Amino acid sequence: MSLDYVKVWNVFESWCRDWSLSRWRAQTPDILGLLQQGLEQELDLSFLRVQVAAVSSFLVTIHVDSEGGSSGEGGSADEEQEDKTGQDHCDSKEKKKVAPKERDIGRSDSEEEKDETGNAAGKYRHRNRRGQNKRPTNEGGNAEEIEEEDGGAYKTRKNRANERSKQQGTANKARKAGKGRGRNGKKEDLTEKNADKNDKTKKGKQEKTNKKKKDKKKKSGSGSDSESEEEPITEEELDKLKEAVEEKKKLIITIKNKPWMMKQKLEVLKDAQLFVEKFEGALGKGKGKRFYAYKVMMTKKWMKFQRDFENFKTACIPWEMKIKEIESHFGSSVASYFIFLRWMYGINLILFGLTFGLVMVPEALMGKPYGSMPRKTVPRSEEASAMNFATLWDFSGYAQYSVLFYGYYNNQRTIGWLQFRLPLSYLLVGIGTIAYSFMVVIRTMAKNANDEGGGDDTSFNFSWKMFTSWDYLIGNPETADNKFASITTSFKEAIVEEQESRKEENIHLTRFLRVLANFLVLCTLAGSGYLIYFVVRRSQKFALEGMEKYGWWERNEVNMVMSLLGMFCPTLFDTISNLENYHPRIALRWQLGRIFALFLGNLYTFLIALMDEINLKREEEKIVKYNMTLWEASLYNGTLSENSTAPSVHVDPADIPRGPCWETMVGQEFVRLTVSDIMTTYITILAGDFLQAVFVRFFNYCWCWDLEYGWPSYCEFDISGNVLGLIFNQGMIWMGSFYAPCLPAINVLRLHTSMYLQCWAVMCCNVPHERVFKASRSNNFYMAMLLFILFLSMLPVIYTVVSIPPSFDCGPFSGKDKMFEIIAETLENDFPSWFGKVFSYASNPGLILPFILLMVMSIYYLNATSKAYQATILELKKKLQMQAEENKKRNKQRAAKAQDLVEDEAQPPSNQKTLKKEKTPEKVPRVKDPKLGYTAVPSHHPIAQLQFVAKIAEQVVRFQLEEGQTVHLHQMGFQKFQSTETNLLSVTTFILQHMDHIEAMALIYVVLTAAFNLVNNTTLLDCFHLVGMWDKAHD
Amino acid sequence: MVSPAIALAFIPFLLTLLIRYRHYFLLFYRAVVVRIIQDYLTGMPREERAFQYVITHAIPGDPQSILNTFDQWCYHCEYLSNVGPQKGKILERLICETAPLNVLELGTYCGYATILMAQALPVGARLYTVEMDPRNAAIAEKVIRLAGFDEDTVELIMGPSDDIIPHLKDKHGLQKLDFVFMDHWKRFYLRDLQLLEEEDLLQEGTKILADNVLFPGAPHFLQYIKSCGHYRYKVHRTSLEYFRAIRDGMAELCYTKLQ
Repeated sequence: MSLDYVKVWNVFESWCRDWSLSRWRAQTPDILGLLQQGLEQELDLSFLRVQVAAVSSFLVTIHVDSEGGSSGEGGSADEEQEDKTGQDHCDSKEKKKVAPKERDIGRSDSEEEKDETGNAAGKYRHRNRRGQNKRPTNEGGNAEEIEEEDGGAYKTRKNRANERSKQQGTANKARKAGKGRGRNGKKEDLTEKNADKNDKTKKGKQEKTNKKKKDKKKKSGSGSDSESEEEPITEEELDKLKEAVEEKKKLIITIKNKPWMMKQKLEVLKDAQLFVEKFEGALGKGKGKRFYAYKVMMTKKWMKFQRDFENFKTACIPWEMKIKEIESHFGSSVASYFIFLRWMYGINLILFGLTFGLVMVPEALMGKPYGSMPRKTVPRSEEASAMNFATLWDFSGYAQYSVLFYGYYNNQRTIGWLQFRLPLSYLLVGIGTIAYSFMVVIRTMAKNANDEGGGDDTSFNFSWKMFTSWDYLIGNPETADNKFASITTSFKEAIVEEQESRKEENIHLTRFLRVLANFLVLCTLAGSGYLIYFVVRRSQKFALEGMEKYGWWERNEVNMVMSLLGMFCPTLFDTISNLENYHPRIALRWQLGRIFALFLGNLYTFLIALMDEINLKREEEKIVKYNMTLWEASLYNGTLSENSTAPSVHVDPADIPRGPCWETMVGQEFVRLTVSDIMTTYITILAGDFLQAVFVRFFNYCWCWDLEYGWPSYCEFDISGNVLGLIFNQGMIWMGSFYAPCLPAINVLRLHTSMYLQCWAVMCCNVPHERVFKASRSNNFYMAMLLFILFLSMLPVIYTVVSIPPSFDCGPFSGKDKMFEIIAETLENDFPSWFGKVFSYASNPGLILPFILLMVMSIYYLNATSKAYQATILELKKKLQMQAEENKKRNKQRAAKAQDLVEDEAQPPSNQKTLKKEKTPEKVPRVKDPKLGYTAVPSHHPIAQLQFVAKIAEQVVRFQLEEGQTVHLHQMGFQKFQSTETNLLSVTTFILQHMDHIEAMALIYVVLTAAFNLVNNTTLLDCFHLVGMWDKAHD
Repeated sequence: MVSPAIALAFIPFLLTLLIRYRHYFLLFYRAVVVRIIQDYLTGMPREERAFQYVITHAIPGDPQSILNTFDQWCYHCEYLSNVGPQKGKILERLICETAPLNVLELGTYCGYATILMAQALPVGARLYTVEMDPRNAAIAEKVIRLAGFDEDTVELIMGPSDDIIPHLKDKHGLQKLDFVFMDHWKRFYLRDLQLLEEEDLLQEGTKILADNVLFPGAPHFLQYIKSCGHYRYKVHRTSLEYFRAIRDGMAELCYTKLQ
């Protein structure tokens, strides 16, 4: 993490300490509070952005790893956040209304004198509000006055009001001790929660002080608890003190909701904290003191240990910091590729461990040494060139006759002093590799799947976009700009989509174009398939005639053609898909599907050609077998005639004729393909991305147009292509690893290097996407593709294992009819006879069929249950929504009633009337748009919320303009008694006129975000038009 | 020797390039290939041909007709890097809005933009237009006079802009500029803007309009105006003249004299 972030985090920590918040559980309002302070300290807007990024990146670090594809969670979290923002906006206002009132109602008979600050502040606010009402036309230049403006009812009032009423309920029931205890209990709960959560900060010292404070509170809290049970000295005084402490504590908790200036807040907070510390100590002199001290010490130690452990755990996650850095520059979508890569690396490591530990190492250590048998020796004809680099690079020569390939292994049943059953182990590792991969992929998919849940993502489309589209992990200004632009585009698109869904025009042309595009794509696919088939056949011809006659190009033709097609066809598809005019999301899916089809087609063409070759080799094998008997006979004849006394002849194994060993050939093909794939990838990165970046960077000084912003520019990181490449590469590993045990090792190497190379390349020569998008949802899509590929790559392996007889003179299964006979053999020899019997019974179709039936039925049952659960969840969600709506309404009514009450007391009737009259135009009737499914103008008072936003806007505008020149809301055209629409428009216009383009866009985005639910669509469209996000000509 | 199959594998790549950059290929064809062929066939430069066409087809003394004829020639015959009708609208609107009295145009070329601005100028305004190439300047002179603007309204100055600008004050009696239109070499935008600043020809509220800031593009110029703080700027995103599919932009600056 960059130093900047650490600095910001330190600031945040100290801020949290000031407010005695827990850093790791900081909520959105807390962070907004920090930002507000920043604004008041006249910090730059971009720096605030960095602050948000820093804080969020720290906060997210803990959860990131498990985050894999937490898409559904995103929904709820976003919703929560939305709620939070709303709350933050209106808490301040609702508070002063609800709080004093209910305080008056609930507690008028007691403790009036004790809540000096809290109630005094309340009174002050109360007074202030009255004053405001008396002079309604007076414009709020003063920050406090503006915030004191009384809004109507708020969305989140219900929470607050509920909480209040609950508290009041307790207070009324047992006002003296009971309430105190309840509160203390709550506090203790809170502290415990804090203790539970895992800290992983480096700032142990600050943490400690923070903790001390908390502990003190806790101590005193329980102290007072115990005290209330035992006999007090002077009960009334103690009670009073307790109440006062209570109040202070409450103030500390709620202070961040108060609409005061930061300075004032801090002062009050410090006072309150001092007070609490001082008198809590007095209260805390109980008999349990020592026990508490002990407990506190232990908790501290435990926390420290936990923190260290967390640190250790994070340090153990490989490449975590690299990925974080990329994430902050490129958004989470690019990072998701690297997380996927890391995950793949983990799986391959395990596969490598299996093959290396159970097959390669035993054979190398305990098997017969090199040169002891024909299959372990380089034949005489190849001996001369066996050590050449070109030969080794081609995986022939010495590489071919080594543990790296199938053919080297011997069919001895047991080897070495361990009696290691190598053939059995070979087969089981082959099966285990695939089984393990299946298990892991399916488990990950299942883990991701439950995130999706049954949500209705299509409704509230615009609100989702507004509140959830920002990627808080972005820390790079350029990426932030891109993200901003992409959000604007997505808005444009959404609006266009919305409009286009209403009018249907020229559908025939689009249809025709789509059919044409698909036709072109099919042509490309067929062409590429044929080209590969042609090339493979040609290479077979070459192989038959002998490779030596041909050059490098001919020998590597297959790999070259496959790599080139894999490289260029996707771009062609991309270009063709422009014809179709699909929505980008759908277009991406089509694109992925097409690339998938291409890769799959190529792979399977390759496989079919390979099958042909296998058949050829088997024909050849028959001839060799026949020749061999002849050769042996001649050998014996020859020797007999020469030297009749020695019956056993010693022939060098290199001279013995041997079969072609198709398994090794298959393995070699796969290894070659993998290596050439690695080469192409790396060369593409180096020659494509890097050279382009160098060229663009340094030739930009002397070129006739702008290279950086204009045509070639820097590359973007191609996520879908890279992910697909990774997936297909893995498919190749799965397919080939049975015949070439070295393949997982090669892949591990490849993934390891590509992690570093790609990390470097992405940071050094790529630019963030023009359309930065979040990746969470596509994760399971990738997994599904991986599963599909796994299945497809399993098929040929299983087919060859089951149906093709192994070569007669190479490999661990030589001499057997089928490879899997090794299992029967093992059962026969190594297990007691009853086991074999049981096994034969168990493999009886009469037993297997019912078992399969049972499994199918249980799958069906589980599926049905999960569907039912999903339906229930949907139902409950609906219910929850209804309830929330109901609560909102009720609370609104209650608040309105209470407000009327207060106003009746405070205002002379005439004044009130004018006020009401002026307010009426703001209450725009609800416009229900059935298509969008959301209410364009919600029932709550819009202007107050907008005003809060406008205040932020005001602050920012002030910093953007010259120093010292203050701009107030009314200068921006904001009038308190205008309708929200007019105000929004005027604020927007002002910002546009007075600010630089990009800043204005950013700011207006903020304004519009908050205003989204306040105004109707036409106004919003007007605003978009003003900002340039929306071209009116489209109408 | 490269085998034919590998060569065939490059076909998708070529197709992609061809489809993706078809507009640029077309532009290259119209602006370069056709020009060279026609130059060879007719033996006179492109601008001369355009002038021939205009003088035979347009109504003398009618600026709009001359502009239309230019557009027609550019759409149907050959390509000229004029301002074009689409961007011309922006230019015209800006001139009408600001009603400048002293206007400087850098890069006359064939006089298209000059006519466009001159017809929108208020009474008593004066337009100085600078052209480096003498042949183009001669044609522009003819075109401008054909449109009916005399020496008092439009003054054509021949020479490179960095020689002309320092002498605007003493030789041409120009004190302050109200409007500057840049459409000469994109590399000189920044240099000439800084020259104008140095010579103190800009006053508060002076509008500067720079063409082709996105394609072919003037990145250093854009970077400078973003960072220097003397200007409020806005980029009008449009398309290249006579090519709708190639995106281009005009930068509109307003000198504010801050700092």
